[in-house]
Amino acid sequence: MTPSDLLSIEKFVCDLATNKVGPIIKSKSGTQQTYDLKTGSRKVDIVTVIDKQVEKLIWGELRAEYPDFKFIGEESYMKGVTRITEEPTFIVDPIDGTTNFVHDFPFSCTSIGLTVDKVPVMGVIYNPHLDLLISASKGNGVRINGKDFDYKEKIEGMGPLILNKSVVALQPGSAREGNNFKCKLATFENLLACDGGFIHGFRNLGSSAMTMAYIAMGYLDCYWDGGCYSWDVCAGWCILNETGGRVVGANQSEWDIGVDNRTYLAVRGTKIGSEEDQTKYIEDFWGCVKGKLEYD
Amino acid sequence: MPLSKQELKEIETTLVKLLREEIGPIVKTHTGTNFSSYDDKANEVDLVTVVDKQVEAIIKKELNAKYPNFKFIGEESYVVGETKITADPTFIVDPIDGTTNFIHGYPYSCTSLGLAENGKPVVGAVYNPHLDQLFHGSKGNGAYLNEKKIDVKKRPLTLQKSVVGLEGGAERTEGPDGNFDKKMATYKNLLSDKGGYVHGFRSVGSAAMNMCYVAAGMLDSYWEGGCWAWDVCAGWCILEEAGGRMVGGNKDEWQIPVDRRCYFAIRGGCGEEEQTAYVKSFWSQVEGRLEY
Repeated sequence: MTPSDLLSIEKFVCDLATNKVGPIIKSKSGTQQTYDLKTGSRKVDIVTVIDKQVEKLIWGELRAEYPDFKFIGEESYMKGVTRITEEPTFIVDPIDGTTNFVHDFPFSCTSIGLTVDKVPVMGVIYNPHLDLLISASKGNGVRINGKDFDYKEKIEGMGPLILNKSVVALQPGSAREGNNFKCKLATFENLLACDGGFIHGFRNLGSSAMTMAYIAMGYLDCYWDGGCYSWDVCAGWCILNETGGRVVGANQSEWDIGVDNRTYLAVRGTKIGSEEDQTKYIEDFWGCVKGKLEYD
Repeated sequence: MPLSKQELKEIETTLVKLLREEIGPIVKTHTGTNFSSYDDKANEVDLVTVVDKQVEAIIKKELNAKYPNFKFIGEESYVVGETKITADPTFIVDPIDGTTNFIHGYPYSCTSLGLAENGKPVVGAVYNPHLDQLFHGSKGNGAYLNEKKIDVKKRPLTLQKSVVGLEGGAERTEGPDGNFDKKMATYKNLLSDKGGYVHGFRSVGSAAMNMCYVAAGMLDSYWEGGCWAWDVCAGWCILEEAGGRMVGGNKDEWQIPVDRRCYFAIRGGCGEEEQTAYVKSFWSQVEGRLEY
């Protein structure tokens, strides 16, 4: 697919997100006091009927326009059955930040990505509460609410990318037992401690997609997480790549990972000529990880 | 004679106008542009900027001109051990709350303007110019987000099904007696499937914004230790006007002064008994006592 093909897909998906999906998320946020627990899941892993409705809507619209593309969505995903192939595949989280959505914390959004050869090449994230639309496609840069975003200028104005001067997004997720929970909390503590990473601070928005969008916009320096899925990161990954950012694994030496790796470290871009800062940042960060995050 | 409802409303209107027209634009244009120019305060993670001081000076001048008999306490002019909150009407002001956000350009810095009378918050206005969210209220007059009255929808409040505002804070020295270890242990208790097992926590990096989000019902509660009167005074008034409640961060601290430095804010939208039960179940997860 050429950059102009991708740009036209991006435009179509932006319209879908802002005109059809956004209004539903906005009007239903904080109104769903009854919700289900995901099948076989923990008490804190919740899904509402609106998640399912919105996914159906997105699937229908995308299939009508792009009948040959594959579709993977959070609500229709089947563990062990659904696989990402080389073919053009929409990877969709109808409502990212479902807990935010239930509680009306204004960081639920829709996240629609596209992979070709398993690589994210288009991404659209829309948060209707803040009316923030961020979109990108490979080779075409990033747009915020439809306007080209000058990420180079933004990065020039930021400080150097150094672990102990950075603000890091961290989320505990829904696994609250066992080794991964332990590893996460020990790592959070180590990042904050004055004898550890001694980072400027952490932030937790409760939405992977919004977090990746915020990194691309230059609001955050990085995001470390485990337990999320391809639909949580696919759109944000493409957007971040277009601003010089990079996604690697959450564990030491995981330089090359697939979209469905389930553990991620997303890091912002750096000034031209300071690219090695990014590599060093990743290595320093990995040095603070206590243990290993593992998911099946 | 305490200030009347009308007088309080008039002060609220003054604060709202000051924030929207003068202060907000300064905070908005300078965010993320001062990375290299901050000086270290207590340690490397507490960042104070030149703009912080400038903004406080403007606020102080404006409020002194309009309310010459009121006292003024601001983050930048506060002297530890000397500055005291008296019964007199006192503006308690944080020129830029969320200084780390301000330095990094993370869109959650804000200005927090509160007024206390007899040591109790009676007016509050908090403005985040990046998201254009202005929360305000005064005693007896209700609470607002921009022009819209805050009306927290009636819904149950239980610890397990709640989302809690929690922050890392600037105090990071490890050790069994320090507050850092107690905070981390409390976070673990709250999250663990054997403890509170809460829906989640959120951190936006600004105490005043957390307070306002609890007031608006976007968060169920906010637990904090280490912040100051100016971080919470404005939000506290807004919270109470929206049916929320403020208690101490440690067990059995049902009544606390504005400068307690350790707080627990709970949303409205439910009965007082439900709030009380929530506070008790939350306190049972707190590890040790936070001390400042």
